[in-house]
Amino acid sequence: MARILIVEDEILIAMLLEDIVTDLGHDPVGPMMRLQTALDAAEREEIDFAILDINLAGQQSFPVADRLMRRGIPFIFASGYGRAGLTEAYSAVPVLQKPYDAAQIARAIPPHSAGQSR
Amino acid sequence: MTPLNAPGADPFYFLGHDGPVARLVKDFPWGTTCLGRVETWPQSLKTATALLIHSPVPMVMLWGEQGVMIYNDAYSVFAGHRHPALLGSNVREGWPEVADFNDNVMKVGLAGQTLAYQDQELTLHRKGYPEQVWMNLDYSPVLDETGRPAGVIAVVIETTERVLAERRNRQEFQRLQSLFAQAPTFMAMVSGPDHRFTLVNPEYNKLIGNRDVIGMPVREALPEVTEQGFFDLLDHVFTTGEAITRTSLRVLLRWRDQGPLEERFVDFVYQPIRDQDGTVAHIFVQGSDVTERVRAENHQRLLINELNHRVKNSLAAVQSIVTQTLRHATDPGQAAQAITARIMALSAAHNVLTQESWDSADLRTLAQAAIRPFQAPDRNTIELEGPDMRVGPYAAISIALALHELGTNAVKYGALSVPGGTVLVRWNVSGQSVFTLEWIETGGPVVTKGDHRGFGSRLILQVLPDQLQGKAELDFRPTGIVFKLTAAVEAISDHAA
Repeated sequence: MARILIVEDEILIAMLLEDIVTDLGHDPVGPMMRLQTALDAAEREEIDFAILDINLAGQQSFPVADRLMRRGIPFIFASGYGRAGLTEAYSAVPVLQKPYDAAQIARAIPPHSAGQSR
Repeated sequence: MTPLNAPGADPFYFLGHDGPVARLVKDFPWGTTCLGRVETWPQSLKTATALLIHSPVPMVMLWGEQGVMIYNDAYSVFAGHRHPALLGSNVREGWPEVADFNDNVMKVGLAGQTLAYQDQELTLHRKGYPEQVWMNLDYSPVLDETGRPAGVIAVVIETTERVLAERRNRQEFQRLQSLFAQAPTFMAMVSGPDHRFTLVNPEYNKLIGNRDVIGMPVREALPEVTEQGFFDLLDHVFTTGEAITRTSLRVLLRWRDQGPLEERFVDFVYQPIRDQDGTVAHIFVQGSDVTERVRAENHQRLLINELNHRVKNSLAAVQSIVTQTLRHATDPGQAAQAITARIMALSAAHNVLTQESWDSADLRTLAQAAIRPFQAPDRNTIELEGPDMRVGPYAAISIALALHELGTNAVKYGALSVPGGTVLVRWNVSGQSVFTLEWIETGGPVVTKGDHRGFGSRLILQVLPDQLQGKAELDFRPTGIVFKLTAAVEAISDHAA
């Protein structure tokens, strides 16, 4: 079981993602729906993996991504835009295009990711 | 025996020339003029006459107080129809239309002074009609044997053709300049290896923020542009002689000293202009400021991306509704109904937002759309009460979905499941900028706390307050349920709280 940070500002999608993560047998952290709460979680919470929506109520979630990278926590972007708007710095980060299913999320979570940050 | 050309044989032996005017001079009855018969002429007059007769330059001599005219072949051409009657006449009578001018010449010349005129404009009647001419005129006195001025000699070079040609060139230049000035595109000319501005039109001035650049090299006139590679482009055109065209090129311009850099986009061509020997001497710069077009294109691209984003998000939202509804469903028919109702609620919220370009929504309009399916046809079972206010797009969708879940619950189990039950939806903003939204049911059956945490209760009690960073409470009163949401006003405006 891995602790997975969910950053998603759309209420319905946040609920769906929480369900998917739970159904996959993981422990969801969040969903965090605002940049500030997501930043706090990325800084303080024990996390093994994260799924970041790129656009958070008009703000981009890149500062969250930067914190995760500093902490060495793997993550993916989930976006309706696809890769559009992603800068060079995140070229190695996988992007999941919305809508996605549980199998895509399962494949994105690195095996044995549980407990890495602890 | 005397030789034929000895002084005694031909009094005009001193002319030593046989041109058309020389023959007329020889045949002229000089005795009728103040010069007297040629035999009485002083040596100075003879010498001066011979000198001008031999000159290929148009020359005329005005002798004595009257200014009796003796001129050469070249001058006779200049004199037009006035010749040959002009020969031997007094200058003031010979050229009556410029008598005043020549009067001054005579006075100054006989006083021993010289006169010089460049491109002097005069109106002459030498062809039987008034004619505007321009001349370079040089007058100097001719001295007699005693050293006193006895006449005036004039070199007369007509410059009419050159003056008219220059005037045409100037008019042509002015015509080009006015074309330049009125052109809807920007134009400039830079000259020499350091690309010095020699011409700019008003549109070009507008582009560079009305800086005074004429006479300045590009590097000094537009230093910020030089850094952006435009100088290298000019150099390339200057050295290779190849024209350069660019479209939608970005340029940053500092319109005011110490001011910010203004972003413009330009289509332009650098055209080499060669001088007579074929080397590039100037570069003609011509183009259009296409900033508005480029911005419109970028905006359109953004809109398309945004639309794509919304479509994908909507699909994901529908996916969420379907999977979560089915997760808690016991009856496929009811599940289908619930899914449809939730998608309709989402769609109604989208409609309200679309009318406002997804900027924000009026809360009353949004709430009206959300409760419409639950409103009885004959009476207002749901009352709305609250001030006019706007909510951000994310909060708008969440609040609309929450009202839908509350409405669905009220119709199934709550106040709206019996005749006479009512709902009051009340919202307010307190002095501390705290937003409150209440759903108050009255007149319904006694409702007890349900134990299943379905989609609706999860949405209104967990995710909604999470999203708005607020608090949600559900109170099961004997009179009916009361739902209360509190959040910071910033949060429901979609700004960071």
